[in-house]
Amino acid sequence: MIELKQVTKRYGAAAAVSDLSFRAPEGQIIGLLGQNGAGKTTTLNILTGYMPPTSGQVLVDGMDMLTHARECKRRIGYLPERPPLYDEMTVRSYLAFVCELKEVQPRAIRQHVREIMDVCGLHEVQGRIIGHLSKGYRQRVGIAQALCGDPPVLVLDEPTVGLDPRQVAEIRQLIRRLGQKHTVIFSSHMLPEIQQLCQRVVILHKGRLIREADMTALTDGDDSLRLRASIAGAQKELLPALQSLPCVRRVKTLPGSGKNMTEVLLECAPDAIPAPQAQLFSLLCGLNAPLHMLSQERDTLEEFFLRLTSEDDAAL
Amino acid sequence: MRAIWKRELQGYFFTPVGYVFMGVFLLLSSVMFYTTILQSGSSDLPAFIRLLSYLWMLLCPVLTMRLLAEEKQKRTDQLLLTSPVSLPGVVLGKYLAAVTVMLLSVVLTLLFVLIVAIYGQVYPAELLVCYLGFVLQGCAFIAIDLFLSGCAANQVTAAVMAFGANFLLWILDMLQAAVSSGFIRRLLSFFSLYERSEAFMIGQLSFANAGYFLSITAAFLVLTIHMLDSRRYRGA
Repeated sequence: MIELKQVTKRYGAAAAVSDLSFRAPEGQIIGLLGQNGAGKTTTLNILTGYMPPTSGQVLVDGMDMLTHARECKRRIGYLPERPPLYDEMTVRSYLAFVCELKEVQPRAIRQHVREIMDVCGLHEVQGRIIGHLSKGYRQRVGIAQALCGDPPVLVLDEPTVGLDPRQVAEIRQLIRRLGQKHTVIFSSHMLPEIQQLCQRVVILHKGRLIREADMTALTDGDDSLRLRASIAGAQKELLPALQSLPCVRRVKTLPGSGKNMTEVLLECAPDAIPAPQAQLFSLLCGLNAPLHMLSQERDTLEEFFLRLTSEDDAAL
Repeated sequence: MRAIWKRELQGYFFTPVGYVFMGVFLLLSSVMFYTTILQSGSSDLPAFIRLLSYLWMLLCPVLTMRLLAEEKQKRTDQLLLTSPVSLPGVVLGKYLAAVTVMLLSVVLTLLFVLIVAIYGQVYPAELLVCYLGFVLQGCAFIAIDLFLSGCAANQVTAAVMAFGANFLLWILDMLQAAVSSGFIRRLLSFFSLYERSEAFMIGQLSFANAGYFLSITAAFLVLTIHMLDSRRYRGA
């Protein structure tokens, strides 16, 4: 279990991270979300003991990173933003070297490296020089490197950046699989990725924590049911009628509306009886305005995130 | 530490660096051997080794330039510093790898000694002292250049800085002659690695001088460790 307590990191006068506290409970995949420059990499560098914080504490299983560096570092595998690869080595010899660094028993190294290559799908390139590998394979070697010594905690800094869509899917699959056995902390500025993979999310903005929550609880604050509809008919007649529906809280016209076609976003009370969809249907039947499309919109993490960060900017 | 030593040593021979170092060292030392010993029909090995010691100035930067600068440039230091290895372990592992390659080259020069031993007279005790001075000097140069590799942002800068520093240490002798102030002269002569090795090269075993080289080596290793550590705090 990893815990950050009031961690602050300053570069000269500028604070990259200020007063950051959060916990990564065992066995979860935790996403560290933030825009570029939000302090994600600095946070992970501090978390893994690469650099000490200006003030505050990092605890790994209750031990302080500064005073028990060795024990703490043994429990963490780290894939930095740029995988720390030695280009002149082969994949196999590189992984064996990392195992030695991580104090794997010399006799166990061969077997351990083989297992890791299995997990990361590196068997076919094990004898290749790392400098000759494609970006996707390099990233996998980077993840393999973090697995050496079987640390309970994996820290991955933007593991899917710069990969093609197929590789991204593969790496995500790998992270999900690793999350079954390890505590995984990974950073990303891509929201769908966090949504797909994480049980818990920590949102950073300008070096400060603005929200830490379980994935499911994250968007709970907003309970509107949002319906998007394309209706044949003129806005002039339709909008007042829509607004008069008891379940509708707000009506927003969307771009794409024309003379005879109205595109709207309806924010409705979700627990209305009959259901908002049914009310809408009856209304439109009465008006003889055919419904061309109706879909339910979820408040995406993206919108949520933008709202959160802009609120935060306003507060500053 | 052992893992790092092993990797660096392999690194020297996976890349051309190790071969370049040993190749150039052997080429130049053969030329020197030819001119000082073979051509003049002399068996004055100490004079030959004294000449050889000038090669450290030229070649040690080749050994050290990538050691720390490359780690920083390629961000592989992130692996080392987040592994359960101490910073002194990292620095010492790298230092010893460079020293190992240097010692390998020194061992190869024993071939020249063998040739002289066959055709002439070799004084083993004197020669041993010469070699001791030769190796100690190499160790000190490597420590200084390793420190500079840690200061530099990339390999080229590291090499240029190391060449500069080594050259400066060499011309300290000349500088001394030009300075009239006694204090500055003493200060300059204190830092002259070549002046210190003179005694060894005439077969005088001086513990003060051996201690001097070892202290320089230790001082620069400690400096390197401190510099790397302070850089972690600054986050640069």
